Amino acid sequence: MYTASSKPTKSQTARRHFLKRLGVLGVVSAAAPVLLSVARGADKKSTGIKSDAVSSKHRWGLLIDTSKCASGCDACVRGCHAEHGISSTGNDHTDAQWIRKIDLQDNLTGTLSSLPMMCQHCKTAPCVDVCPTGASFKRADGIVLVNKHTCIGCRYCVLACPYKARSFIHEPITDQQSWAPRGKGTVESCTLCVHRVDAEEDQQPACAVACTNEAHSAILFGDLNDAESEISLAIEQGQAHEVRSDLHLNTGVRYIDL
Amino acid sequence: MLVFVLSWSGVVEFGFAGDTKTPVIPKGKGDHCVAETDYMRRNHMDLLVHQRDETVIRGIRDEPFSLVECVDCHVQRDAENTPIRVDAKEQFCESCHAFVAVKIDCFGCHAAVPDVASVENAGRAHEYESAENNSARNIQWIPHKQLLSFKQENMVSQKKTYYRNHNVHSLIKTN
Amino acid sequence: MIDHLRYQTLKPAKVSYALVLLMCTSLALLGAYSASTMEQAGHIITGMDNHTVWGLPHVFAVALIVTASGALNGATLASVFDFSHYKPIARFTVVFAISLLVGGLVVLILDLGRPDRLIIAMTHYNFRSIFSWNIILYTGFILVCVCYLSVMMEKRFHHHITVVGRIAFVWRLVLTTGTGCIFGFLVGRNMFDSFLLIPLFIALSLVMGLCALAMIMAMLERWNATLLSDELLHSMCTLLMLFSLTLLCLSIVHYMLNLYVPSYSQNQQPALSGIYSSMFWIGYVLAGVAMPLFVLIKRPFATATQRLIISSIFAFIGCLVLLYVVIVGAQSTPKVLFPGKTIIISRFGDASIPVYSPTLWEWGLSAGGSAVAVLLCLVILRVLPLLPEPQK
Repeated sequence: MYTASSKPTKSQTARRHFLKRLGVLGVVSAAAPVLLSVARGADKKSTGIKSDAVSSKHRWGLLIDTSKCASGCDACVRGCHAEHGISSTGNDHTDAQWIRKIDLQDNLTGTLSSLPMMCQHCKTAPCVDVCPTGASFKRADGIVLVNKHTCIGCRYCVLACPYKARSFIHEPITDQQSWAPRGKGTVESCTLCVHRVDAEEDQQPACAVACTNEAHSAILFGDLNDAESEISLAIEQGQAHEVRSDLHLNTGVRYIDL
Repeated sequence: MLVFVLSWSGVVEFGFAGDTKTPVIPKGKGDHCVAETDYMRRNHMDLLVHQRDETVIRGIRDEPFSLVECVDCHVQRDAENTPIRVDAKEQFCESCHAFVAVKIDCFGCHAAVPDVASVENAGRAHEYESAENNSARNIQWIPHKQLLSFKQENMVSQKKTYYRNHNVHSLIKTN
Repeated sequence: MIDHLRYQTLKPAKVSYALVLLMCTSLALLGAYSASTMEQAGHIITGMDNHTVWGLPHVFAVALIVTASGALNGATLASVFDFSHYKPIARFTVVFAISLLVGGLVVLILDLGRPDRLIIAMTHYNFRSIFSWNIILYTGFILVCVCYLSVMMEKRFHHHITVVGRIAFVWRLVLTTGTGCIFGFLVGRNMFDSFLLIPLFIALSLVMGLCALAMIMAMLERWNATLLSDELLHSMCTLLMLFSLTLLCLSIVHYMLNLYVPSYSQNQQPALSGIYSSMFWIGYVLAGVAMPLFVLIKRPFATATQRLIISSIFAFIGCLVLLYVVIVGAQSTPKVLFPGKTIIISRFGDASIPVYSPTLWEWGLSAGGSAVAVLLCLVILRVLPLLPEPQK
């Protein structure tokens, strides 16, 4: 096949041409996004949208005051479901349960309490550890999410979560909200309303908003890393508990009066 | 991916002589897309993949290549002005994808029609905030009492009806 | 090692062979149909939900995978431990192990929420996940098996058999350990969170592999192979007794331990006294251990072959039942989220015991995967000379 000084045949030239074109195509497609985003950067800047990547400067969390949480009230659940376009099919065991209300009775004193249970946004999250593709991940700011683009639906995280906070989507979904993509065959859970958190400063998750609107104000959202934030101060003052603190998961959701 | 790109080059540069029906591409909003049409044809999937990782993992939501924007501009409406899913037959996405026989994996999870304005639209609040017309700030929220009265089963459709009745639609886009 | 054995392909002239092929093909087709239906409609058509997230398909997938690693014993006993009477079946055993693993993986993959994203599972690895390591262990197992088979089949490479055999032996132990780890490290589920699951899974693989080997060899015997020599029969019977007793011991200890660890004993005990207790005591202990031991010791059947087959069938089904109790049963215990408090109301059933009943689709998928394993093995045996020629 290999000859020292033969002219390239017609087919070889054609192939070279083809390969050259492929190469150009590759370079263009690799460079273009960068160039384009630089070019567009100029007119995007003026809109004042937060464009920084999330950083570990913040760690978002919730503080839930169970003494303020009313039994029988599920405003947070409805608020969450409305925000994320979650509609019930009537089967509680296959429906998505991003947040659920639990009523408790103390075995010793008989005291009744009520609280919402959702993804606890653990610092060392079992769901993140077990995910084979890395789809279940923790953002730099402590929010635990499912990257549905790489979730293969193996449900190992659902099995691993100590709080039963993960839901597998059992049926096809239509009518999604544009900011809350959700679909059959993948796993999802509370996102701490990440789209709100990213959009602007001082945004509260839907459950907290709903709770405040209901005049309970049992859910407080804030930055756990900021010692001066309302949530950090409240945690310092009150007796804030982690659910299943024996597992040492360092949860981002804490409970007062548990 | 390579196969996809090649098949497109085939379509664009040489044209298909076969009896395959060429795709019908409805015109989108405005004069031009976020990049040149030729470039978008070949690379929209890479742009979207790049954007999705930036958004999901790094929380960057102001990049121009967002799927929501695609849907917003390229959606068609029926006679009653109701948006038609972009992945429906002969719509913007589907007509080409059917032609090149590539399955779209976006709209199993993502909304295939644009949003109506809503109290929960805070995720896209920057749009209202940044809009030139300040009236866009006066978003009409659904009163909470009203929201609570909605039945769980058809919350979404009830909300949409509410927005339609209160003509909130016009507040979204100021252009 | 001088190989004086001659090998041949499977040359079945019997109707029964065609019947088995037909049966396996139709079961495999049923599996394919179930899988496609599940993908179209979603997992809503199965009995699995957000409480019982892993159901029958996982029981079968895990069963097939541990059986594969156990079946490889037939070959490693010959080349690592020098049990010469296992030598004739060594080649075919390796192929059987590969087929079983493929069958198990088919079930596992088709049960995913997004089986179409298999490529993502192959390209995105999270090395903190034991599941990721298992994907590597499974593909590696197939590779090691192929190497093992090729050194056995090519005379020039015969001197490598012991080395490759040892690698295969270690690999299969690691693989079963990995499978045990999938369940053994789940802090969120008390009934899973136990290191004992690792030896339990290894014992399980030994029993199931041996039984599966016995069953398929009995089937091949009906056609043209002579596989079960007297020595082999005797050895397999002894090993079956030994492995079964080990497994029984480990499983009883596993569940008893749960009873004695204070924080675990508050849990309802699904296997010992709960809703899965009849499966555990009757299905596993009685039918899966007592019955085979009785057959092997008391010898109610005339020939050793009959005894081995009958006891293998019972022990294999018993192991399946045990796996069901281990995997599904552990998911039936409510999680203790608030120690010292009782959950009175929860819309998600935090206090109740979830009931799981598999639907036709899960059975179809599980049977399909098992059929794929047998089918693949029979096809390879038909093509490659792996069965010993009868000695005159």
